[in-house]
Amino acid sequence: MTASILYLIGTIATWVAWCSFGVAVFRGVEALLKPKGIARSRSTAAFVKAAATAAIGFLVVLVFPMKSGLEMTGFRLPIVWPVLPFSGWGIFISVCFALYRGYQLLIDRPVSSDDQTQSQQSQIRAWMRQAIAALICAFIFFLFYRSNKETIEIVKGSIPFSLTSALAIVLFAVVALILMAIAATSVTSRGVAKKVVLHVMLLVGSFVFGLPFFWLVITSFKEDIDMSSANGLVWIPKVSEEVPYRDPTNPYYQTTMRLALQGNNYRDQSVQADLIQKESNGKYLLNVARPMTLEGTTFEAEPSTLTEIDRMIPVVSGTYKDTAYVGKVIKEMNDGHKEIYITSPASLAGQTYMANPSDVTPVRHVGLKLSNYPDALEYLPKEANMGLTYLKNTLILVFFSVVGTILSSSLVAYAFSRLKFPGKGALFTVLLSTMMLPAAVTLLPTFLIFKNLGWIDTLYPLWVPAFFASAFNVFLLRQFFMTIPNELEDASKIDGCSYIKTFWTIMLPQVKPALAVIAIWTFMAVWNNFMGPLVYINSPENMPIAYAVQLFKTDRGGEPGLMMAFATMSMIPVLVLFFAAQKYFIEGVTLSGLGGR
Amino acid sequence: MASFISQAQSRILRLLGLCLLASILIQAAAAQVPHERKDFIIWGIAQNNDSKGTEAVVHAFQAAHPEYNVRLLSMGAGGMDPQKLMTSIVGNVAPDLVFQDRFTIGDWASRGAFMPLDDYIKRDAADPNCPKASDYYPPVWQEATYGGHVYGIPYGADDRILYYNKAIFREDADKLRAAGLDPTRPPRTWTELLAYGKVLTEYNPDGTIKRAGYLPNYGNTWLYLYSFQMNGNFMSADGRTCTFDTPENETALAYMVQGYDQVGGYEKAKGFETGFLQNENDPFLVGKIAMKTDGDWILQDIIKYAPSLDIGNAPAPVPDDRYNHVGAFKNEKDTYTTWVGGFCYSIPKGSRNPEAAWQFMKFALNPEGRMIEHRANREWEKHRDRSYIPRMSANIPANALIYKEFQPADPKFAAALKLHIDMLAHSSVRPPTFVAQELWDEQVKATEAACLHKGSPKQVLLASQARVQRDLDAFYGEGKYPIINLWIPFWVFTGAFVLLILWVMFAFRKKKLGKLSKGEARWAYLFISPWVIGFIAFTLGPMLASLFFSFTQYNVLNPARFVGIKNYTEMFTTDWGDTWKAFSNVIYLAGVGVPLMVFTGLAVALLLNGAVKGIRFYRTMFYMPAIVPTVASAVLWIWLLYSDPHRGLINGIWDATVTKWLGLAPPGWLNAEAWSKPSLVIMGAWGAGSGMILWLAGLKGIPTSLYEASSLDGATPRQQFWAVTMPQLSPILFFNVVMGFIGAMQEFDRIYIMKPTDSAVGPGESLLTPVYKLFHDGFAYFKMGSASAMAWAIFIFILLLTLAQFALAKNWVHYEVEN
Repeated sequence: MTASILYLIGTIATWVAWCSFGVAVFRGVEALLKPKGIARSRSTAAFVKAAATAAIGFLVVLVFPMKSGLEMTGFRLPIVWPVLPFSGWGIFISVCFALYRGYQLLIDRPVSSDDQTQSQQSQIRAWMRQAIAALICAFIFFLFYRSNKETIEIVKGSIPFSLTSALAIVLFAVVALILMAIAATSVTSRGVAKKVVLHVMLLVGSFVFGLPFFWLVITSFKEDIDMSSANGLVWIPKVSEEVPYRDPTNPYYQTTMRLALQGNNYRDQSVQADLIQKESNGKYLLNVARPMTLEGTTFEAEPSTLTEIDRMIPVVSGTYKDTAYVGKVIKEMNDGHKEIYITSPASLAGQTYMANPSDVTPVRHVGLKLSNYPDALEYLPKEANMGLTYLKNTLILVFFSVVGTILSSSLVAYAFSRLKFPGKGALFTVLLSTMMLPAAVTLLPTFLIFKNLGWIDTLYPLWVPAFFASAFNVFLLRQFFMTIPNELEDASKIDGCSYIKTFWTIMLPQVKPALAVIAIWTFMAVWNNFMGPLVYINSPENMPIAYAVQLFKTDRGGEPGLMMAFATMSMIPVLVLFFAAQKYFIEGVTLSGLGGR
Repeated sequence: MASFISQAQSRILRLLGLCLLASILIQAAAAQVPHERKDFIIWGIAQNNDSKGTEAVVHAFQAAHPEYNVRLLSMGAGGMDPQKLMTSIVGNVAPDLVFQDRFTIGDWASRGAFMPLDDYIKRDAADPNCPKASDYYPPVWQEATYGGHVYGIPYGADDRILYYNKAIFREDADKLRAAGLDPTRPPRTWTELLAYGKVLTEYNPDGTIKRAGYLPNYGNTWLYLYSFQMNGNFMSADGRTCTFDTPENETALAYMVQGYDQVGGYEKAKGFETGFLQNENDPFLVGKIAMKTDGDWILQDIIKYAPSLDIGNAPAPVPDDRYNHVGAFKNEKDTYTTWVGGFCYSIPKGSRNPEAAWQFMKFALNPEGRMIEHRANREWEKHRDRSYIPRMSANIPANALIYKEFQPADPKFAAALKLHIDMLAHSSVRPPTFVAQELWDEQVKATEAACLHKGSPKQVLLASQARVQRDLDAFYGEGKYPIINLWIPFWVFTGAFVLLILWVMFAFRKKKLGKLSKGEARWAYLFISPWVIGFIAFTLGPMLASLFFSFTQYNVLNPARFVGIKNYTEMFTTDWGDTWKAFSNVIYLAGVGVPLMVFTGLAVALLLNGAVKGIRFYRTMFYMPAIVPTVASAVLWIWLLYSDPHRGLINGIWDATVTKWLGLAPPGWLNAEAWSKPSLVIMGAWGAGSGMILWLAGLKGIPTSLYEASSLDGATPRQQFWAVTMPQLSPILFFNVVMGFIGAMQEFDRIYIMKPTDSAVGPGESLLTPVYKLFHDGFAYFKMGSASAMAWAIFIFILLLTLAQFALAKNWVHYEVEN
């Protein structure tokens, strides 16, 4: 433990030293550039302070023996990581806070002037109270820690740099600091320096937030062998080269399959198939290779209906008779051997031989495996009609939900905001309180209601409730209706319009932006709804996309390329809507009145 | 402004119109020709390259029975997902035939969800194809019966035997000899098994496992195997008492724990397993596992992907006493024993075409039908230049025929298949009981808890036993609770409601209102009627109903019984472990996740508030994760959090930095108990964009005059932040926190999608949430009573939490308008 604590102190000293070194550079340049006077002397004082801290820090590091256990060559920047249980973190945070307040109380106490004494006294008292509270917290956490006997450990480590890269980084930092110091002295460019720092931070943040997306898209274009690599992650996808080939002994056909089974979806399905054998009745027995969902289906066909097409075979490289070659795999044997037809160099071209599987490597080039997308769709069950059924179901849900929500919510909101009726206040309170109600409470009885209506495995349970207004949307629209001046309404009343006509022609157009926001939110809610389909939908014919993605995960989770391709496809409509109506997504919050309090 | 709005508005309308048009077009494209023939729907049969045989049988059946239109639904149906099947049976949209794991027959039969087949068997007794009990292995047939009735016809029988990699044994022969073990033969006893396993296990420099000798629960063993080998059982002979906690089962479980402890613990072993791939990269085939106990299904994979792998087989090693026939096993006649499982065909209640289902069973399950299947499978493999090894049948004559015709040419495979068939005579089955699925779930839970050292084997088995016994008692003791007619409360409620309406109308009539206001009020009532009707039908009614259900024992298919507050008391007694786990998990998710999400959002918003140029780009980048559909993002994060650093992005980065710098191995994320909730928290922080937008709107709304005034007073930016910005933003913070908590308390979707498939609900149930429990109890078992009690517990918990937040809010939330 003592070694760990020494290492911890050494690490802190190193980091403090380097940071102070940076500050010293910055302040030093500032002191040189500033005009004589208070400003310069202040910078000089800061420079001296920082330089002294840096010097002490480096001294400490030199004196301390820093043994992390992981010996590295080159320059090492030590780091530590405390491995703590929760109680440990509690102690750590409380003690740090208490120390900070103690530092403020004892050392950093501002020089008092008379008029500020009053507020300062109260502030110091507050600090003291907080410090004591933190210490009590630390003690409580300590009791927890003692009772559970959990381990606290300081993991020692270091970031290795080669000497050149370390020098380059230090040099770059010094130059950047000098530039910033120069910029900071002139008022006009100070803003620029700040902006640069801000943009750098934002770019880093965007990168972190965008990385999962990027990884999703990259993965969806990768081949299976790139999913895991001994040399770390694969960032640039590659594709294996393939060439068309016709094997007279093993022809490949394009035809229309007539299959009585499986309802009517596949009665005249266009397929690609291998020949299994020629039957005695003159027909050919074929085995479907694509689409993948039918792969392996056996069927008979008249030879006249078949069109021979190329099959795609992989290109490989290897060594044969001590010569490197490029060839194509014309046949794969069951024991893993591959029959290779050599295409280059010229000396070997045209020869075929049997190669060990470990002796050949596929020829690959940088590129995207676009076929993951159609393949993912081909793997869907037959009823899904290449995913179109899912899309159709989701669009039906979106359409009816949006229409239902807008119509019902605006009507109810109109009544609550513009019309007078007995019991209005009480009813509105009830409406507001339903916003807090967790959906879980009503889940089971609602299921029984729809069951008694015979609506299980239909889309009705998922959109019919939208026609009964939701509390949040009513509340939102009511806020909007309230802002519309009375004159408009009065004018229409004088014209003899009925309430329904006033609502439809005068009031509704006034709240269009709010309606747009509600439409978008409803769209998102429908697209996201997972639990509803999980409970109510059983057959692929009625499945919306969200549920289909989950099922695809259980079926094809072992094939990340397909999985990510399908996930990407499932979010494309949302992304399109987002970019088409970005204003509403972002300003929706402001419109809702939540942002502006 | 107005024109811009109407322009964008019309764009939205057009988009909607487009949606409608597209959906109509797609509908037209996908329109189906009306069926002339009667649909016959089968659930649970997989359709892939390994199921060509089943497909051939279905084809042959279709050809022989043109009057039916056979439809196979593999997706979203049947298989092992009891929730889907139960929902469809309850919802009256059941399939005609299901292919179902046999051991759960009791669950379904006891609730009247499956049809007994005795009448059909009696009717067709003269038909040679009609299934006869004498043709089946006795334990297997017994597994498909419940309460003296036959509820399913068995399909396959898969017993477990030991597979070991002879090449590894040879390679490490010296090490084995040094440990006093014979490298030329497999282990025979438990002690030997672990001794071999210990020697054959290898580690990486960072302490992770490189090759495992033997992992007690890898392959297909579960607690069942070890318990059966101890002659233990999980149920008493009369099926009324759960016997999880017996000395035999404790010894069996302690043995599994020992097996994991000797390789460095369960978590380490699970971390090792997450790196496993399938097919040709299967860990056993590539030598990452030296020995495993598994079923006959892996033979086909071995011959397909690694025909030259030098495998050896032996009966699964048994307890030392059993092997030596001493102690409790003195008079035991079976030295070796194993367990057998498999699937069967059953007809769910509500099947619209039970006759077709019965015809199909007769057709597919007689020896001739099984031969069609195996021949087709063999053709398929032959077409791929591969050999074929058949799976065993539950039908004894069929097995004889199969072995005769399909005996593998390679002696090692023939020996394996022979051993599998021979061991069937020495096999046990899981007890046919109506709590079969629960027994299964509980043994998974107990094994995991014991291996993670959450308690001694005795403690975890006792806890599981109490839960199962509770359900057994509820079932057998339900007679003491009175049956109540659910329509009575329904009509009482409806009647009370009608009275209320009448009273309101009466009061309305009496009220002195002008004619004009009366008309206005009438319109208003008409306008709010959608909400009122929806409120009554979908909120108030269901709420009262669920309150009512919470005092009953009700599974929809059988009449409800009034049990008083039993469901609530059980939540705090027998089920307290689960309740505590579920609520503490969501408290963790809310307590750590919500603050992190809120402050990530605030930090990004503060950064964005400063920059002027490029704000649209940055805002889009930060906001985009928030609009990704939940399911898609869950699927994405499973992949990002993959614990193998060569596959998962996060662990890949971790491996390249933290491991290099600090020597800390990457965490197991979703597969490790300590990391599964942090995984969700991190994923939540990624979606902080929606909160960020709110913060940004709030920041823009703060009057600049406040900053100017405070600057004049000499406030530093930091002081300004605490004295101006935060108080001004406090209502948003409050809103974010309240909504975040309510959302976190109802966590479900991500859990359902992201939980690892082979553990309970996350490792050590670390992802169990109240809503998950409610869903599982409610829709997989239709335990309406306890699920409704849970629903109300969630409701009250959220209500209290929200009220507490509102009470605290007075101290820190700053509202501009003070009234």
